[in-house]
Amino acid sequence: MRYYVQKLGFYAVALWAALTINFALPRLMPGDPVDILLSKLSARGPVTPEARQSIALLLGTETDQSLISQYFSYLGNVFTGDLGLSVTYFPQTVTDTIAQTLPWTIALMGIATVISFVVGVGLGQLAGWKRGSFLDNLIPVATMFQAVPYFWLALVLLYLFSSVFAVFPTNGGYDVYGTTPGLNWPFLRSAVYYGTLPALTIVLSSVAGWMLGMRNMMVSTLSEDYITTAEAKGLRPRRIMTTYAARNAVLPSLSGFAITLGFVVAGSIVAEQVFSYPGIGQTLLSAVQNNDYALMQGIFLVITVSVLGANLAVDLLYSLIDPRTRARA
Amino acid sequence: MNQFSPRTSRRALVAAMAGAALALSACSGGGDGSGGAGGPQPAGGDGAITVFNGSTGTVAENFNPFSPTALQPTLGVVHEALFYYNLAAGGDPEPLLGESFSWNEDGTQLTVVTREGVTWSDGEPFTANDVAFTFNLLWGTPELNTSGIEAEAEATSDTEVVFTFPTTSFVQEAQILGNQAIVPEHVWADKADPATDINTDPVGTGAYTVDTFSPQSYSLAANPDYWGGAPEVQNVRYIALATADAASSALLAGEVDWMSAFFPGFQEVLADEPDLSWINTPGATTTIHTCSNAELGCEGPQSDPAVRQAIYQALDREQLNQLAFAGIAQMPSTTMLLPDRDEEWIADPEATLAPETPDVEAARATLEAAGWTEGADGIYERDGERLSMTIQVVSGYSDFISAIDAMTQQLAAAGIELSSTQLAYNEWNANQQNGTFQLSMDSIGFTPSTDPYYTYFPKYTTANTLPVGESVGSNNFSRYSNPVVDEAVATAAGTEDQAVKAEQYAVIQEQIATDLPYIPVVIGSTLTEFSTARATGWPTDEDTYAFPASWKSWDNGIVLKNLELVAPE
Repeated sequence: MRYYVQKLGFYAVALWAALTINFALPRLMPGDPVDILLSKLSARGPVTPEARQSIALLLGTETDQSLISQYFSYLGNVFTGDLGLSVTYFPQTVTDTIAQTLPWTIALMGIATVISFVVGVGLGQLAGWKRGSFLDNLIPVATMFQAVPYFWLALVLLYLFSSVFAVFPTNGGYDVYGTTPGLNWPFLRSAVYYGTLPALTIVLSSVAGWMLGMRNMMVSTLSEDYITTAEAKGLRPRRIMTTYAARNAVLPSLSGFAITLGFVVAGSIVAEQVFSYPGIGQTLLSAVQNNDYALMQGIFLVITVSVLGANLAVDLLYSLIDPRTRARA
Repeated sequence: MNQFSPRTSRRALVAAMAGAALALSACSGGGDGSGGAGGPQPAGGDGAITVFNGSTGTVAENFNPFSPTALQPTLGVVHEALFYYNLAAGGDPEPLLGESFSWNEDGTQLTVVTREGVTWSDGEPFTANDVAFTFNLLWGTPELNTSGIEAEAEATSDTEVVFTFPTTSFVQEAQILGNQAIVPEHVWADKADPATDINTDPVGTGAYTVDTFSPQSYSLAANPDYWGGAPEVQNVRYIALATADAASSALLAGEVDWMSAFFPGFQEVLADEPDLSWINTPGATTTIHTCSNAELGCEGPQSDPAVRQAIYQALDREQLNQLAFAGIAQMPSTTMLLPDRDEEWIADPEATLAPETPDVEAARATLEAAGWTEGADGIYERDGERLSMTIQVVSGYSDFISAIDAMTQQLAAAGIELSSTQLAYNEWNANQQNGTFQLSMDSIGFTPSTDPYYTYFPKYTTANTLPVGESVGSNNFSRYSNPVVDEAVATAAGTEDQAVKAEQYAVIQEQIATDLPYIPVVIGSTLTEFSTARATGWPTDEDTYAFPASWKSWDNGIVLKNLELVAPE
């Protein structure tokens, strides 16, 4: 029990530290949202000198609040779920903006990450079990895909499969012409169709890491004494591979997986740019471009919580899978 | 229990993988079915077109015409103004909801006759009361009043509205007549907070009404009862794309009918596509903004007018056009107006038109006359100060960046050293606002009407600037301050007499041609691409009945109602 309390305490402190940095960082950036909105407006049409005052009033940025009191009201608001108004998407609230975009990212990146992990670990396990088989040759190929910068790989695949062969759509998250978002079959089918190519590029570019790691762990686990013992007992090779070798070999990959899951939200920016995918990565980018403090803080909060949450979950899970981590000297 | 949990979790993973694989195969199958042989296609042949107006990521619903973040078709397409000012061709304002207007002698009263027989999209009649309500709401709400004026509007009958101003206000004309959407009183009187209301399902007088909205895309439907006759195109869909690359491939794939974006090699690419055409409508002068006023805290050699003149003389604009602007830029004018469109306002068209070729000798002579001497490395010096300046540019603005590369060499030939720094938009913008820059690549243009007042007042007057370190709010970045200009602008603002205005503008033009707080580079292109596969009647070089850019408010509504459908084959 004490173990869990300690863990939770640690995560609470980490969360507080992250929230504080989250508060400070956007304020260290140059520029001010009123000026940025003004410049954007003046690029599209006339802006009168008086507009500055009225926009400051409108956005509510004209406050005399000290930094300290801003900090405490920020902390208070975070815990009540009130993340403020977005300047970029004014007058939409940050919570609404995140709620609109987060599901797209989680569905795309989450599923792609899980597929990549499962495929990579599965193949790595087989490659380690049957060293020297054709699967070993797959590793350099997969590594090549990982070595190519992701945006380049994505652009090439997009060009090939959307422009040259026109198998997949060039952009978007679903067929905006023929379907209405919601729980209906045409929409879901089109969302999956539109998500396939982005997901494919993500899997292609990340599967090698899982494969390589898992294969090498398999190889070293297979030389352990207990594997020899298991073989000597005459267990079926399949059982030795899965229950004896793979279960132990997968542990490092699993903790890596947790960290990756946490970065699902942050890691989707490039993919969403290339495929014009309507996720939170693009929202984060426009928040940064518009000095939209509230929106940036909101998205950072989501990232922070997801990284910490994923780590906490794996920490707890790990102690179930591997009793050694619970043991105290 | 421990012994079993990993096993179940692994099975769950395997099941997830199998499910995902199934989903993948199902979707590629589904894609073949729904997309047909040519991949996904927008619904064609049913009178619908698709517009990309530059919005990226998700779209926040906001059809409030008072809001600075309103979706672009709110202005001009859904809600209309009283008149339309054509920035592509110039000329008199064209009547929309207003039919005619007149000023009293001293410019304190503006009377507008409004159109009869117009109905709002909910069926209620439109009257002058709606116009008066709109402006009183605007001027009575500090959060909305971006012009800062205190005026009053009163409907004197169902078709006449009178605006009364505390001072001479001729210059408010274009803002009031052409840049304010009229809203219905019977809807907006009940809005609790008109500043932040997102006005879902807007009631307007425009040719289109909002049909469907989702954060990825929204569509407008033709208003069958539109006073000017229902438009032919039944459905206009606006989509969001992340980048210009995505936009150009969507255009080539036939998924977008109208967009405004520059992409490299567009001439060759579009020449191969029979359905696609493009138009270039220069609307703004690309400039080097200089922090010109040492008295207000500007630092660096560019605060010497001789240096600014030398830069102006040493630029090889023809080379810049070829290297950086795809050969479609035009030669600018030191008046910062557009030489073709604004002919009537330019006092001395020949002298103020920037030369295509550089005059390095003249540039050197200008510098030497101001006391600069050539140093050992070929760069001029004065009192130990090297003639070396930093120009800031937004990273990713590729045409500006290649222009700067070329200018660095061109100016080096005249003994001026230029170094560049690429910044994120925010930082670049903050530097301009606060005057913490030496030179900056930007542009000047897109005013409410073609009256030069809207260029000279914000960019060149003392009233619109502040010392370095204080934000000037998108106005006089250069910190330029010249009493002669200030007085001429004030005189021009106080009259409706075109001849008097032109006289005053000539005075300004003479001053700024030698002071050059903003150094004209070229007149940049504004490129718009159309597809004629589904609709025709787009603006052409011969008939610029509206500014064609797909991101331009007001003009969008004019273009859309002018389109004709192509009969499905």
